[in-house]
Amino acid sequence: MKKLLISKKTKGILGAIAFPIVFIAFWQLFILAGFPSARFLPSPYKVLQKFVILFSDPTYSHNIAVSLQRVMIGFFIGTLAGFIFGLLMGLSKTAEKIFAPFFHAVRQVPMIGWIPLIIMLFGMNELPRVLIISVAAFYPITLNTFSGVRNVPREYLELASVYGYKGLTLIRKIIIPAALPSIATGISLGLAMSWSVLMVAEIFIQTAFGIGTQIQRGRDRFDIALVIAGIITVGVLGYSMTLLVQKIVKAVERGQVISADK
Amino acid sequence: MAKRFLQRLGLKDKLLAIIVPLLVLAAWQGAVSQKLCSELILTPPLTLLNTLLELAQSGDLTLNILASLKRVMIGFLLGGTSGFVIGILMALSPFLNRIFGPLIKALQQVPEFAWMPLIIMFLGIDEFAKYFFVAIGAFYPMVLNTYQGVSGVPEKYHELARVFDYKSFRYLFKVIIPSALPSIITGIRLSLGLSWMFVVGAELFGSDSGVGYLMTWGRAVFQIDLVMAGLILVGVIGFAMNFLLERAEKQFLLWREPVDGRPA
Amino acid sequence: MSNNKGTLEIRNLSKSFIVDNSPLQILNNINLTVTSGSFVSIVGSSGCGKTTLLRIILGLENHYDGEALMDGKQIVGPGTNRGIVFQDHRLLPWLTVGENVAFGLDKLNRKEKKLLVDEHLQLVGLIGFESVYPSQLSGGMAQRVAIARALANKPEMLLLDEPLGALDALTRMYMQKELERLWQLEKITMIMVTHDIEEAIYLSDKVVIMSSRPGIIKQIIDVSSSRPRDRASSEFMQIKAEILEEFHLGTEYPFAYAI
Repeated sequence: MKKLLISKKTKGILGAIAFPIVFIAFWQLFILAGFPSARFLPSPYKVLQKFVILFSDPTYSHNIAVSLQRVMIGFFIGTLAGFIFGLLMGLSKTAEKIFAPFFHAVRQVPMIGWIPLIIMLFGMNELPRVLIISVAAFYPITLNTFSGVRNVPREYLELASVYGYKGLTLIRKIIIPAALPSIATGISLGLAMSWSVLMVAEIFIQTAFGIGTQIQRGRDRFDIALVIAGIITVGVLGYSMTLLVQKIVKAVERGQVISADK
Repeated sequence: MAKRFLQRLGLKDKLLAIIVPLLVLAAWQGAVSQKLCSELILTPPLTLLNTLLELAQSGDLTLNILASLKRVMIGFLLGGTSGFVIGILMALSPFLNRIFGPLIKALQQVPEFAWMPLIIMFLGIDEFAKYFFVAIGAFYPMVLNTYQGVSGVPEKYHELARVFDYKSFRYLFKVIIPSALPSIITGIRLSLGLSWMFVVGAELFGSDSGVGYLMTWGRAVFQIDLVMAGLILVGVIGFAMNFLLERAEKQFLLWREPVDGRPA
Repeated sequence: MSNNKGTLEIRNLSKSFIVDNSPLQILNNINLTVTSGSFVSIVGSSGCGKTTLLRIILGLENHYDGEALMDGKQIVGPGTNRGIVFQDHRLLPWLTVGENVAFGLDKLNRKEKKLLVDEHLQLVGLIGFESVYPSQLSGGMAQRVAIARALANKPEMLLLDEPLGALDALTRMYMQKELERLWQLEKITMIMVTHDIEEAIYLSDKVVIMSSRPGIIKQIIDVSSSRPRDRASSEFMQIKAEILEEFHLGTEYPFAYAI
């Protein structure tokens, strides 16, 4: 019985790594076959070599650090603002009536559209980069906090009123915990958006350091291996962050269940 | 009596929704005319309106909007159609799912704009590169939602199709696609929204026409009113596309709504 | 019935599923004969394999030991000579009532289709509802549409898998009358799986009692009293007591269940 389980697991792992191996093999073969269209495309081996060089290059780690810092600051600001704004609109119908139409109108403009205006208003420096990242996080977190707060089951609110919960206690003990799953969804979405907009910020608002900058550099020098290495870096970092946030969200939800049991 | 009261309430809400933006606009106009803020930095609303009218009169407005819309449509059709087809194939064939699934998941981890420099290196900044870039944006939501919709067709409908002997294309078009339609339409909406965002991005990157170009041009000649006009256009057109699709969705999915709230 | 179609012959039928790598016997040595035009109910507690048996007759379960013959031919898959009404009405929500009834008539032309749809909507008393979507129907109405869809193919046998199980008690009694009326009108064989003993007695010529683990036929009881049947008659009560006895439920207070 146990043997079967293990073989199933190894089968799963094999299945998961089989595809990348085949893909990379095809890529290498495609280069080796010498198609004219493959002239510019670096082989997987060259990209690997590039990574080896990058790992010993302090600029690479600095680029990563700068990008991560940028995203974290922007994401933090956007999350905080979105949470407060979403909570406000969720709690007060008047606030919703006043702000919601404006919010939805402004939300119609794709993030990328703000770039020229932001550059004109703030110039090419750190502020507009962080600003646009925080706005990217702000939208989904506002929306999900709002809908989470608005959809707190009526039974809970009735129960709270029976026990005389009011004001901040009500918000802290009932509304936020009940809205937490929805808020967590907003945070995951917000992080994904922030990471995606980071590229926009770094590519369109020129800067000395960052992964986006590295990709741009690669393009300027026609170093395709560098561009691909940058793209892979962005993908891997983004994926790791997503996984991390999902873990945290799950842990928080579990913690909530445990404390509710108590 | 109650109905009238509700109607009045609804009207009040609408007024409130209009009043706030109007107040913002008035404050903005006032701030600029009182020299609290330079006209060079924040164009007053009236100047903005004027800029838009001038653009419309000169024909630049229609020209650039049409250029952008054309790119959106071609890119969306390319990316959306391939996403639709691959999504269906993946959902129906475990083999293809094993081939495409990991690839799409891996590529999806990369923010789309990171591809931009690579695309430009291979394809240049011409029209085709723009279609390609828009197609990338359109592809993901379409493939994911189609896949989800089709693989989520309930087993009971598959059984029904077997009982009534529905096979191949008849099965696909009469049972599978209709059942997956809500999810597919969500995919179309998301896909078109992203297409619009990406066309603006592609035009900002380098272009001689389109709404994005209008903004880069405005920035280059330091005419902030042009940039803001462009921004408004981007928002309004994006909104209009989404609105039309939502309308279409309601029409298509009439069957989904229980009319008088009775359970299905 | 004149043409003697719609007969079923099941001989030494056994069926097992593989669960956790070991076979689990679901049906064991089932023998059953259903004559043309009769109404047969299969009752039993959940898990006794009655639905599996019905799915084998329908042709959705193909791997079994023994024989299942419909009009003398081995059942290998679904066919239009058997109609099915599921417990969940299983109407396609994106099709109107009319289109749902026409679902099995895809090979006919528009005119023939309309004729059959109208005929069967008339039959179940839902004429005028053609262009309504299933989400707008009540449970009983939806089930009547499902019956119309199954009958529109002119099957020789109608299979009913707890067709009234999801309905409230009053609608259920009304629908039982409806089923009886349709059965008498169409003169086709009907096989119904149910867990409602009264329903089985009210409708059937034969009640097949199954027991579980593995599913076997415990007894087959003939009901020959005249229709429409009176649920309060002593004959009805007696048969009911007899069936309850089979389930070891009726020994002490058989009449408690009649209240």
